[in-house]
Amino acid sequence: MARVPKVLLRGLLGLAVTPGAVTLDVLEGAGQDVGRSCILVSIGGKNIMLDCGMHMGFNDDRRFPDFSYITQQGRLTEFLDCVIISHFHLDHCGALPYMSEMVGYDGPIYMTHPTKAICPILLEDFRKITVDKKGETNFFTSQMIKDCMKKVVPLNLHQTVQVDDELEIKAYYAGHVLGAAMVQIKVGSESVVYTGDYNMTPDRHLGAAWIDKCRPDILISESTYATTIRDSKRCRERDFLKKVHETVERGGKVLIPVFALGRAQELCILLETFWERMNMKAPIYFSTGLTEKANHYYKLFITWTNQKIRKTFVQRNMFEFKHIKAFDRSYADNPGPMVVFATPGMLHAGQSLQIFKKWAGNEKNMIIMPGYCVQGTIGHKILNGQKKLEMENRQTLEVKLQVEYMSFSAHADAKGIMQLIRMAEPRNMLLVHGEAKKMEFLKDKIEQEFTINCFMPANGETTTVITNPSVPVDISLNLLKREMALGGPLPDPKKPRTMHGTLIMKDNSLRLVTPEQALKELGLNEHQLRFTCRVQLQDPHSDPDTLSRIYTHLKSVLKGYTIQHLPDGTVMVESIVIKVSSSAEEPNTKVLLLSWSYQDEDLGSFLSTLLKKGLPSGLSSM
Amino acid sequence: MDVFASLFMFWLVNIAHSLTGCALQSCSDLHSNPLGGNTAAYLLLIKYRRRYRSCLAVDEMGETSSVENEFDDWFIESLKIYNNIHEYQLEHPTRVIEWTSEKTICVAGYSSDKNEILELLLPLKLFSDDNQGLCAERDFKVVHGGFSVGSIHCLKHIPGTRCVVTNDGFNSNLQVWDVGGDDCDVIKRTGVLQLKSASSDKGVKIAPGLTGGPCVLHGSQISDIQLTELTSGKPLYSLGKDIPDLLSSLQFVSGSVFLACACNGDLYVGDTRKPSALQNNPAGGREGVHWCMGVKTDLFSSDPSSCSVARLSSACQVVVSDLRDLRAPLCQAQLHVQRKTTSDDFMKVTWAPALDNCLAVSGFDGMVQIYDTASWRPELMEFQPLFIHQGHMMSDDQFDTSSAVVTTHVWHPSRPRTVLSAAVDGSVHVWDWVDKATASC
Repeated sequence: MARVPKVLLRGLLGLAVTPGAVTLDVLEGAGQDVGRSCILVSIGGKNIMLDCGMHMGFNDDRRFPDFSYITQQGRLTEFLDCVIISHFHLDHCGALPYMSEMVGYDGPIYMTHPTKAICPILLEDFRKITVDKKGETNFFTSQMIKDCMKKVVPLNLHQTVQVDDELEIKAYYAGHVLGAAMVQIKVGSESVVYTGDYNMTPDRHLGAAWIDKCRPDILISESTYATTIRDSKRCRERDFLKKVHETVERGGKVLIPVFALGRAQELCILLETFWERMNMKAPIYFSTGLTEKANHYYKLFITWTNQKIRKTFVQRNMFEFKHIKAFDRSYADNPGPMVVFATPGMLHAGQSLQIFKKWAGNEKNMIIMPGYCVQGTIGHKILNGQKKLEMENRQTLEVKLQVEYMSFSAHADAKGIMQLIRMAEPRNMLLVHGEAKKMEFLKDKIEQEFTINCFMPANGETTTVITNPSVPVDISLNLLKREMALGGPLPDPKKPRTMHGTLIMKDNSLRLVTPEQALKELGLNEHQLRFTCRVQLQDPHSDPDTLSRIYTHLKSVLKGYTIQHLPDGTVMVESIVIKVSSSAEEPNTKVLLLSWSYQDEDLGSFLSTLLKKGLPSGLSSM
Repeated sequence: MDVFASLFMFWLVNIAHSLTGCALQSCSDLHSNPLGGNTAAYLLLIKYRRRYRSCLAVDEMGETSSVENEFDDWFIESLKIYNNIHEYQLEHPTRVIEWTSEKTICVAGYSSDKNEILELLLPLKLFSDDNQGLCAERDFKVVHGGFSVGSIHCLKHIPGTRCVVTNDGFNSNLQVWDVGGDDCDVIKRTGVLQLKSASSDKGVKIAPGLTGGPCVLHGSQISDIQLTELTSGKPLYSLGKDIPDLLSSLQFVSGSVFLACACNGDLYVGDTRKPSALQNNPAGGREGVHWCMGVKTDLFSSDPSSCSVARLSSACQVVVSDLRDLRAPLCQAQLHVQRKTTSDDFMKVTWAPALDNCLAVSGFDGMVQIYDTASWRPELMEFQPLFIHQGHMMSDDQFDTSSAVVTTHVWHPSRPRTVLSAAVDGSVHVWDWVDKATASC
């Protein structure tokens, strides 16, 4: 009877279940605050680019990710299966037109509906600053932004999108900014979750990030704030209100330059509530056009806001304010205190800059910068403490008003990262955007608390994570019945049990059958496989006496086995044959011959090991 | 007053009793109230007006709960009473806050299982005096972190080193940790120090040596107090007097003189240069009352009157004395505290390092109270606090005044009115309160 040797069976299994590997290339991902994100994931033979960010601190080539890493092997479109953008911040989507239109990529780009709506506005804004204000060339054009956006496929939350037959993606809510999403990427049984930027605590207009227990092979999380313990939202808001309140009380004017969407709405809700509460009379204005635009977006994307806003939306739209009125440029010269929200956020042009010029000379006034400013803008200069500004037509502007910088960005801190891991239960963790040297403790903490691996790749580094996908195998009923007949404990999913069979890989299916059935199906003949071995033994007795002594010894050791002392001078233990011989020169040196079939290999090797140890001295020879 | 109104007043008074916050606000408003004798009623009305307005807000918003309004009240109030306030939420609560440098503190967990020790860098905003407005950084940074198998009840930094020593509150061993430098962010355990004559399983109090080589004074009861060299673990001094009273506080007041406060309130003055010298100052306190101590020292002054000792009892009394005569109280006070916890575990009294006569008390409830001892007298009287930090009872997630207990607090070494405090819910607050006296001038 032929049996496929066990070793081979193991080998076959190994071949069939090629351990999957997911590789990640962190193309970019710089330090704190304003890095740029661009990650390449290879999973199950698919290549996906996660985010395509721009570095806001550079004016040269370093601003965009280095795509030559991919393009030296061919065109981007051939290499990439899709691009996914997590949210509309430029450090996550700023290089998109450059990649798709200047480097050249025609495949699908996935982003959520709000991101799709807001992203081109931001890109155009930034293009204006870079090209029109700073006069830089070699930058993407308005048309390129439009062409790029044509390649965008919108995503809905929790909707599984089939990119192709094998690759599917699914978006989860990430908080952070309107439309921010975490994405699950799945090929076969392997999956990766990419968080982008996310926030685990709800704020006044957005909810907290949420994901189901999807147990991805890898969870890729941003870790810009991984080593921070964040001050509460409440204290940030308190500080903002305190500053506004103090200025208004002393009769000063407050200018808050904002981008049309995002923090502006949050701060408006806050001021509105405060004004109501404190019975404040000073007027609050919002840049013309801004309110309508913002309202339009928020009505459109009301499902992306937090629960409270959604619930009250039917009775009262939180974004239609009682105290906040539309601004007219003539109001800037009105006497007395006022608060004005004006665009753009970095004071590089438009209404916010006009108002700033009017108010900058009065130390009673205040400007509150609620966000980051790009180098070269007035906003950036005053945040660096510059007191004299060179304006157009060679005039200088003295900055006497009080400048306040406040960060309202909503990122997950160390605790948030731990919460997300607890939610998603990944098998491996990958932290991007951080400084590895300063995250050794967090890595230890994650590895200890969740007993998973944690990786922290540097820029340009490739991380390969071995996955352990489960491979379904059909087992023949006969084989199962035979196993049952052998007895033993009932099946327990927690305790793996060994069973013998023959694996047949045929027509893309794996089947485990009895060896007999395999032989029959494959039309093979049965082969016998016998092992023999010689064991030398010092035993000062005659050969038949030695054999008797072996018989007695085995009888006492192997209880419950069939052991026979045959008249032809052999001892049989099950199918194992033992013979004794010796040479005339050395009658005391016995040579034992052992022979067994493959089926009794375990017992055979046990016996040879046992007999090599010799026979105990007190044995009778019968 | 008609029946309805009197019923209404009754309701108000009830509310006042049920809400400690109300009673406390009334205290802080005492000075500014022009109505004199009718203070209580006047303040209750203020409170009532607030609540009433909250009700209006409910009607408008449709779903705002009264809990949120209570919380909002405090939020609005906080605009006036704090210059700065920062609130942080640790993953696990701490009962230690220890300065490891001018800008860093250590905190650590005290759960029975596995714990973390973290060294945190205070937000830059707290240190940029000139252009605070331009600094947006208000987060703590975890600069170093490590894991401890046991709970951490006591943690002290050894001046001039990167070492901290800890004790788990259950045995007499001290764990020694290297907090680490710039090259690595992991805190590693480097050794264990043992008491020569360990006599109890009550945990150990620790006082770092102030001068000379790195050493640490430690003990679980008065009799086993010992000075140990940090690097070698060699005992340099041991008290060797048979006084089995449990130790509650231990502190050096000069290079060699230390103060030890026993749980029964007795104060001992020891000198590590003279093993036989031990001065006992019995407190004559009541049975079953637990005491702890806070010491204010001026290392550059040899004047014994410059060293003030405040002893806090579990009956909410503070007794102040100084090194000239520790037996006779200079002044004392019954504090205005309603205890929320039966445990004496978290009791703490500390002197303000950069303010005269100010001390902070916590551990009885969710508040940290600041008292000015200048008005206190030698005879026991009740006094009102100068300031109350109620932030720990106004947590973001849940409004629960009953379970919030402050675990510890420390003063900022140089900013006069900046205090750091922690509570059982894992919150850590950094607050800089407004001094009403100077603000109104």
